[in-house]
Amino acid sequence: MLMKSELYEKELAQKEAAAEKMVGEGVGFERIRRITGYLVGTLDRFNNAKRAEEHDRVRHCCN
Amino acid sequence: MPATIVKRDGSVAVFDSVKILNAITRANKAVEGEAMSPTDLLFVTEKVCQKLEKENLRQVEEIQDIVEETLIQYDYARTAKAYILYRAEHTKIRNAESYLMDIYKKLTWSPAIEEDIKRENANIDGDTAMGTMLKYGSEGSKFFIDNYILPKDASAAHISGDIHIHDKDFYMLTETCCQIDLIPLFENGFSTGHGFLREPNSIESYAALACIAIQANQNEMHGGQSVPNFDWAMARGVAKTYGKEYRRAFTAWLRIRRGLGLEEAGSLTETALGACGLEPGLGLEAEMEADMKGANLPIGPEDALAAHAYAAGEAARATENRVYQSMEALVHNLNTMNSRAGAQVPFSSINYGTDTSPEGRMVVKNLLLATQAGLGNGETSIFPVQIFKVKEGLNYNPEDPNYDLFKLAMQTSAMRLFPNFSFIDAPFNLQYYKAGDYNSEVAYMGCRTRVLGNHFDPEREVTCGRGNLSFTSINLPRLGIEAKGDIDKFFSMLDDKIDLVFRQLMHRLKIQSAKKVRNYPFLMGNGIWIDSGKLDIDDSIGEVLKHGTLTVGFIGLAETLVALVGKHHGESGEAQELGLRIIRHIRARADEESEKTGLNFTLIATPAESLSGRFVALDRERFGSIPGVTDRDYYTNSFHVPVYYPIKAFKKIQLEAPYHAMTNAGHITYVELDGDTARNVEAFESIIRYMHDAGIGYGSVNHPLDRDPVCGYTGVINDVCPRCGRREGESVSVEKLRALRKLYPHMPHYE
Repeated sequence: MLMKSELYEKELAQKEAAAEKMVGEGVGFERIRRITGYLVGTLDRFNNAKRAEEHDRVRHCCN
Repeated sequence: MPATIVKRDGSVAVFDSVKILNAITRANKAVEGEAMSPTDLLFVTEKVCQKLEKENLRQVEEIQDIVEETLIQYDYARTAKAYILYRAEHTKIRNAESYLMDIYKKLTWSPAIEEDIKRENANIDGDTAMGTMLKYGSEGSKFFIDNYILPKDASAAHISGDIHIHDKDFYMLTETCCQIDLIPLFENGFSTGHGFLREPNSIESYAALACIAIQANQNEMHGGQSVPNFDWAMARGVAKTYGKEYRRAFTAWLRIRRGLGLEEAGSLTETALGACGLEPGLGLEAEMEADMKGANLPIGPEDALAAHAYAAGEAARATENRVYQSMEALVHNLNTMNSRAGAQVPFSSINYGTDTSPEGRMVVKNLLLATQAGLGNGETSIFPVQIFKVKEGLNYNPEDPNYDLFKLAMQTSAMRLFPNFSFIDAPFNLQYYKAGDYNSEVAYMGCRTRVLGNHFDPEREVTCGRGNLSFTSINLPRLGIEAKGDIDKFFSMLDDKIDLVFRQLMHRLKIQSAKKVRNYPFLMGNGIWIDSGKLDIDDSIGEVLKHGTLTVGFIGLAETLVALVGKHHGESGEAQELGLRIIRHIRARADEESEKTGLNFTLIATPAESLSGRFVALDRERFGSIPGVTDRDYYTNSFHVPVYYPIKAFKKIQLEAPYHAMTNAGHITYVELDGDTARNVEAFESIIRYMHDAGIGYGSVNHPLDRDPVCGYTGVINDVCPRCGRREGESVSVEKLRALRKLYPHMPHYE
């Protein structure tokens, strides 16, 4: 087994510090949509049919 | 006689003829005029055992068949019938057990993300303890209703997917929804059943009690709750707040400038106000000033005017501030309160925009500003559903007194999806309108329900205190498929289904009508439902319920038209003509039924959350995948042009508007815009104005509204967050967030 160098320790500490300062891992985006008339805060709560419907929606242009 | 029998689950048990004897005895006791003696009973049992041995039968079901056969053979017809019924009941109970237990297992062990049944309603969290408890109750109740309560044809039609009885789990319990008039409720004070609340005296209390009233009523009904006149109702709280602030400031001026004690200054304030003969109010400043000038006040005219100027300015500023705080609190409360044992936030809707008083205007302005600001971390609020009532002469045109609020409403909607817009000027709404009377202005429930006309009592065509009693939807696409292009056949089948729905709605009304005021201590006990205030606690509610609506709904007009003529109404004028004919026909049938019964039979463009998937799944199983009809996972909502069909916004509005006039129990039209167009104020306004002019009753503009909870960015997020640059699920450095905070000080504190 190799001896851990001071440099390696320092690098590790830096890495750990950097790692501590990252946030948001695994956090999804919220996508608010209107179904039936109510707003729903996230697509996770949609039932399968409504998810499919939301997916198919196309935008309507104005003129 | 067999030595053993095979039970239903496949296990083997020792044969016991006494069990057969007991079953026959029970069946015989249940009927009259056919009494069997002990010898008769033993005789039949013996015959059964002989047959079983001869035919070598050991299965429980086979044994039961032989019992039936033997009873009939020896002329015990009534006992045989009782035995068959007893058997059928037990089959039902066994089915109930296994069926229900399967559901309960799913509810218990599977997360909502895996089980559609836990996501039937997007605003109930099926993963929580109380959300699951609610589902246990709901699923058990549905089974009970199907098997023991519903007329057999209605139950069969529901199970097979010909019709859908909405909120079936509440069949024995309550009604759908109510439009609550807060004004008389607050004037009289009210009780939630756990304590009495006095008339509120500040805008903070008005806003808080509004939430409590919505919550309390929601717990007694299975649908949502709406306040049809939010600005009118809150305005009184604003006026009271202003009056207090004015007095406080006037007194403060006297204390500081004249060095008076609190009591003396207070009494001089009242003297000054007494001279005015008016309660201090927004917009009355000049009038009060004139009065004070003319009065011979003990503090002298100069000081009186100075104190008045200070008090009026201070009161206006402080009131505005308090109204904002109250509206912010209201929005927070309505997004965080619980109903139904904590499973769900109350489904609340508030309608506003027509009160032109300075107090009412202040309420709407601050509610919209609070909505723009969002919740604690800037999130878009999901509740209340906000509905801005558009009316020419009040807010539609630039010269109208509330035009500024209409503009602000559109700006808010472009940011936050709310408010939606309702149109009093649509002819079918305008016919009820009386200027200055909020009770004659149309209101909508968040889901789109509308209650205004009143066949039961044409003198009471009003909004407040009324709601939908129950509704049932017809699977139109199935009829379209089964008609095989034969339009006459389609209408004849449709008539049969309408007949069935009307009968079922009446069956439900009978159950609802048997309830008493005591079953609804808030809704009826506090007089919120129209005329319920005149009833005693043990009176039946049958008569007052007649002001409510009994409603037939539909889904999938587009798919129906494709099945019948090969095209939907977005694609073909011929299809649109037929679509209008179909919906006009259902409405005519509802009107006839109202004539016949004196009740309010109405037609709704069904909201259909879980139904959109349920009907199509059943139809695909039955008819296979038919292009444009059953080939998607959902049926198109009500009369909408299909969401996947590219069409210009104005054209969509034009095509859907005539259906609004026919669906007197509710309707909504959506236009989908991309984020940039929605944020373009002129484009947004042109859509709303087009809806108004086309005769839409209720509409809104959908646009993508995404949010990154880490940096708080709100807007359109495709793959990468435009603010912090992370992808979904990726992390971002705290340093970066800190740097961003300098630019966006209201970012959530994620780090």
